[in-house]
Amino acid sequence: MGVYEGPVQVLIDELGRLPGVGPKSAQRIAFHLLKLPTEDARRLADSIIDAKARVSWCTRCFNIAEGDLCSYCRDERRDGAVVCVVEEPRDIVAVERTAEFRGRYHVLQGAISPIEGIGPEHLRVRELLVRIGAESVEEVILATNPNIEGEATAMYLANLIKPLGLKVTRIASGLPVGGDLEYADEVTLGRALEGRREV
Amino acid sequence: MTAQAARVARLALTDFRCFTNVEVELGEGLTVLRGPNGQGKTSLLEGLAWPARARSIRGVPDAALVRAGADAAVVRCEIREGTRTQSFAAEIHATGRNRLQLNGNAITRHRDLFGVLRVTVFTPDDLELVKAGPALRREYLDELLEMLAPRYVAATSDFDRVLRQRNALLKSAAREGLDTTTLAVFDEQLVSAGGEVVRGRLQLLTRLVEPARDAMRALGEGDDIAFAYVAEWGGGELVLDDLDSVEDRLREGLETLRRRELERQMTLVGPHRDELRMRLSGLEARTQASQGEQRSLALALRLAGHSVVTELTDSAPVLLLDDVFSELDARRSAVLVGLLPSGQTLLTTATAVPSGVQPACELLVQDAKVGVA
Ligand SMILES: [Zn+2]
Repeated sequence: MGVYEGPVQVLIDELGRLPGVGPKSAQRIAFHLLKLPTEDARRLADSIIDAKARVSWCTRCFNIAEGDLCSYCRDERRDGAVVCVVEEPRDIVAVERTAEFRGRYHVLQGAISPIEGIGPEHLRVRELLVRIGAESVEEVILATNPNIEGEATAMYLANLIKPLGLKVTRIASGLPVGGDLEYADEVTLGRALEGRREV
Repeated sequence: MTAQAARVARLALTDFRCFTNVEVELGEGLTVLRGPNGQGKTSLLEGLAWPARARSIRGVPDAALVRAGADAAVVRCEIREGTRTQSFAAEIHATGRNRLQLNGNAITRHRDLFGVLRVTVFTPDDLELVKAGPALRREYLDELLEMLAPRYVAATSDFDRVLRQRNALLKSAAREGLDTTTLAVFDEQLVSAGGEVVRGRLQLLTRLVEPARDAMRALGEGDDIAFAYVAEWGGGELVLDDLDSVEDRLREGLETLRRRELERQMTLVGPHRDELRMRLSGLEARTQASQGEQRSLALALRLAGHSVVTELTDSAPVLLLDDVFSELDARRSAVLVGLLPSGQTLLTTATAVPSGVQPACELLVQDAKVGVA
């Protein structure tokens, strides 16, 4: 493309790299930003830099954390015997909204997807196995998305963890197939958590 | 027949193909869209049918539907069935996600559109259904399945996705070595999604035979037709008795063909490899039937599909006939006119309609505008 003057094109290119932002939206957002008062633009830029500097991955569950551990891993009242495995930190929010779950989490930071070159070795799978060995985990709930990649990841993990003698359950019943956990409404997801099946 | 018939009562297209803005009201019976070629008749059918499949009936990507220079094409329509009226709206983007609305509510999945509108489409290209390779015949079966139950909409799109993932995995195995644990997972997914598609096709095919025979007889052809569903991975022809063993056969096929799959870096087992073989009086319809017989068989396939969908869903699809009479001789045209089921029908033509056709309404489509003829 490269139709605009230097810095404008750089901005459009950078925005276009964001997930879900096509070239047209990138252009629209760029021109919106250019019209903003300088202090508004600076606030946005600062918030990105600030978040990037202060937020990192929880060293235990790979959720986002300020400091070593995330708020769920720091919370002593949570049941460490049950670990809910999700793809992304935003999925934790979805599970929390149900107010049904009092265990801990493990964030894979993705799902198996050969098309995108993502295999199990690119996910936090090894770290999950280490946790299972080190913490007294009794049940693993596989709450990956109910789409092809999420199902494949859940199957892969079940094949890996079941031989270790743990209870492995999958929440899926009632969840819309092909959907994202993030978009499942609280009631459906809550029921699914209740009615999780052993795999 | 006591089936209901859904119909599109009103259609509005904005920045869709050649149309900047067009709005039409459509009646219940037969509407003839007349006008010179290349001025919007087929595009109007394409817009009307878009909600049925959430994609073009001409098999082109969404980008081709957006008028040059516009950001998005918009399809809005009102669909009436019995006493019920539903409103549908779609914003179709050349790149990025489309936005769909049903009765004012946003919908995110194709499956949520299930049953809102069904269409049966006849085009002059239908001859290819009989003459061309197996891909078009597989598509014919799958499009019918998707009209029959939401789970088939899910199964066909799931299978597609599994196939792409599995092929990517086989390709990467050539570069980085085979990860057998991950392949095992995609094998199992291929078996469950593929199994559902194969079982659906087998059951559908059994239902199609009789109505197809009826249509052939009415068209004055021999009615000695036979359909066979051939799956090479499953050892040849599959029949209705094989329904329960489809998954096992897929698993066996995967085992047998593993080496070849790894060599060729592609999935060789599954419904995407299958063939619907058709015989006329014992002869291969694809290669040994006359062009006239092939045309009749193509019409028979469309009519049979329409009748099976009408029977199983208790609702007749809207009939869209795009310029079909231009390719048919007078005799077959007359028979087709006589065979057309009742219900809303839209017919495009650049010339006169065959005798016997009695339109309830005629519209003139010219220069990307629609007017009363
Ligand atoms: Zn944590």
